[in-house]
Amino acid sequence: MGKIEWAMWANEQALASGLILLTGGIVGVAGQFRNWQFAAYGIAAGIFICLLEYPRGCKAKGNGVQRPGQYCLTVCVKAFGPLTRNYYIRALLHAALCVPGAFILCTVLGCVCLAIASIIYLLAAVRGEQWLPILPRAEPREKPGESIKEPPQNPPPRPPAEMRRKRAEDMEGAAYTNPMPVMPNEY
Amino acid sequence: MPLSWRSWIANEGSKHFILVLWLSTNIALFWKTFVSYCSGPQHYYLHKMLGLGLCMSRASAAVLNLNCCLVLLPVCRSLLAGLRGFQKVTSRKARRILDKRKTFHMACGIAIGLFSVIHVSAHLANVYSFSAWYSDEFPALNLARHRGEDPRIIMFTTVPGATGVLLVLVLFLMFTASSYSMRVSHYDIFWYTHNLSIVFYVLLLVHVIGGVLKYQTNVEHHPPDCFRPNRTAPGGQNSGFVNSSQVDGLSKVCREEPQFQAHFPETWLWVSGPLCLYCAERLYRYMRGCRPVTVASVVRHPCRVVEVHMQKSGFRARPGQYIVLNCPHVSSFESHPFTLTTCPTERNATFGIHLRVLGDWTERFTDLLLAEPEVGAEILPVALQRRYPRVYVDGPFGSPSEDVFNYEVSVCVAGGIGVTPFASVLQALLDDWQHHKLRRLYFIWVCRELQSFRWFAELLCSLHQKLWQENRPDYLNIRLYVSKERGLQSLSEGRYQVLSARLLIGRPRWEMLFEEIGRANKQKRVGVFCSGPKGLSTTLHKMCNSNHFGATFEYNKESFS
Repeated sequence: MGKIEWAMWANEQALASGLILLTGGIVGVAGQFRNWQFAAYGIAAGIFICLLEYPRGCKAKGNGVQRPGQYCLTVCVKAFGPLTRNYYIRALLHAALCVPGAFILCTVLGCVCLAIASIIYLLAAVRGEQWLPILPRAEPREKPGESIKEPPQNPPPRPPAEMRRKRAEDMEGAAYTNPMPVMPNEY
Repeated sequence: MPLSWRSWIANEGSKHFILVLWLSTNIALFWKTFVSYCSGPQHYYLHKMLGLGLCMSRASAAVLNLNCCLVLLPVCRSLLAGLRGFQKVTSRKARRILDKRKTFHMACGIAIGLFSVIHVSAHLANVYSFSAWYSDEFPALNLARHRGEDPRIIMFTTVPGATGVLLVLVLFLMFTASSYSMRVSHYDIFWYTHNLSIVFYVLLLVHVIGGVLKYQTNVEHHPPDCFRPNRTAPGGQNSGFVNSSQVDGLSKVCREEPQFQAHFPETWLWVSGPLCLYCAERLYRYMRGCRPVTVASVVRHPCRVVEVHMQKSGFRARPGQYIVLNCPHVSSFESHPFTLTTCPTERNATFGIHLRVLGDWTERFTDLLLAEPEVGAEILPVALQRRYPRVYVDGPFGSPSEDVFNYEVSVCVAGGIGVTPFASVLQALLDDWQHHKLRRLYFIWVCRELQSFRWFAELLCSLHQKLWQENRPDYLNIRLYVSKERGLQSLSEGRYQVLSARLLIGRPRWEMLFEEIGRANKQKRVGVFCSGPKGLSTTLHKMCNSNHFGATFEYNKESFS
């Protein structure tokens, strides 16, 4: 099957769950149904989860497809260090966040989806995966060598004048040297 | 460069036409259902109870019906390959529309996702309304068992509610595994979750049995909001004393009590046809793929490419088609697509593929194929023969490259290993080039390393030789490009002189190439076939839409899942 990085799928699931929780929360608050406070919690939790899960981590090989505009959030999430790097903590966090969603109908779906995402994160954590940020690599500027700043003081060494004079016997050799053997045209 | 309207219409016209048709059908269906539930007399009482949630949920359900029906059609690959083969029945325009099947499938899938969100949100509101506005007047309309019943209980203890939750979970798993990055990095998760679609359809068929939303059957005898003389009005008035003015103002008098009936599950009509077609297709592919395949020979090529020749009874394929290989010894469930580089003919019944060793499946597969036979002291000579692993082949399936022969002038542009569809085309031309519509073929192959050209150097040289000997020197126009400029490079063998003379260092200059092709083929319809990385195909697509001496360039792209 090859090396599957479960964290990638868990990340997609968590982001989708955040959106489902958010949508359910909006429906609950807009309809002003009974216990709509849980729906308001759903909106807040949904937004928080979306912000946390939006920056995609890079794969074990070091490459990864970035989501558009994720750089600022990557920096914020990275700032929390081991809290966000470790997937056990994420799994626990999602499991805890999903529980209040089970109290009203609107957020029940978000709760179940988040629970699934939490389980997949747990699987990823058991397999030793970690969240590593995708940051642009600072390319080292190629510095030109030092000698480029100073032009040479002397001309290059040349053989004495008799050898440099063109000889009549070998006109072609004196005129130029062929880098490759010349052949007639072939198709 | 200036846009050529003829080229643009040839390349983009049918695509955009289908898109507009699909969008307008969706919008019309949504609108019609919305209006029917909002203002139709048969839904009057239900609408009074549920409000906007009813109209939104039913309208989105209608759109979901349409898209669940359409989404299955582009993935019936064998059926579409068969349609492509009927060249007398389907025109080239229709075949080019078939090339866009994956995009259409994705569009329908996205529509299903979007309208599911609307449908579920509206039904969540409906469940609350069923609970809060429990109707004592018309008990038949109710879903809740009593006023104020907990909506969660209503959801999880009714058939539509429970199946609805399961449907959302299945869609959730399918959608999260279908994003571009998931398909690129973990194709197997995408493929396995997508096979959950059969569970989705079974649940869908059960979901609509529920009969929760009812319509009124006797609208003529009980018009909505009619005057009922023997019942107490909701305001508490005793309507035993009826004012004459009241009776005059209300023209309708109820003759009987309203009767409600659940709708016939329309979804069955929409979905059963394509579902049966898809199940038949999968069954056919399974039975066709069950017959074993014998591996005839394995050849190693430079740059990590291996050529495998196989034989299967009753296997027929056209140049440009691809097959899907499964090797249980490597992985029981994984299968990978490979384009055929040699098709079976009357003279030679074997078919071949060229596979590049890139991931772990191809590595293990080639290790098995190229393993040295074990030599033991007591093994008889006959057992020294290579033991190749068992291989199953599903296919062949169609691809855009089959159309190379249907243009008078074709341009084939290949990047690296993407040359495989054109290799089978060249092989077919080597067998018989005279009986096709094709009169001229421009073959442009861009590789990173020089040694890659050795994969098909023999084939190119022999085809070139044959065409020169049969006095058609302008039939085949070869251009080879090595994109990594690393000093002087040439194919040193004498027999590849033809290719050395046509080898250029650096990337091709597309503008100039297209000018040259346009100038030589003015006012003609030229087919451009691209098989390579995304950057190459985007550049070519742009080139095809612009104007070059009045020649129309029709763009066809080979897509690799």
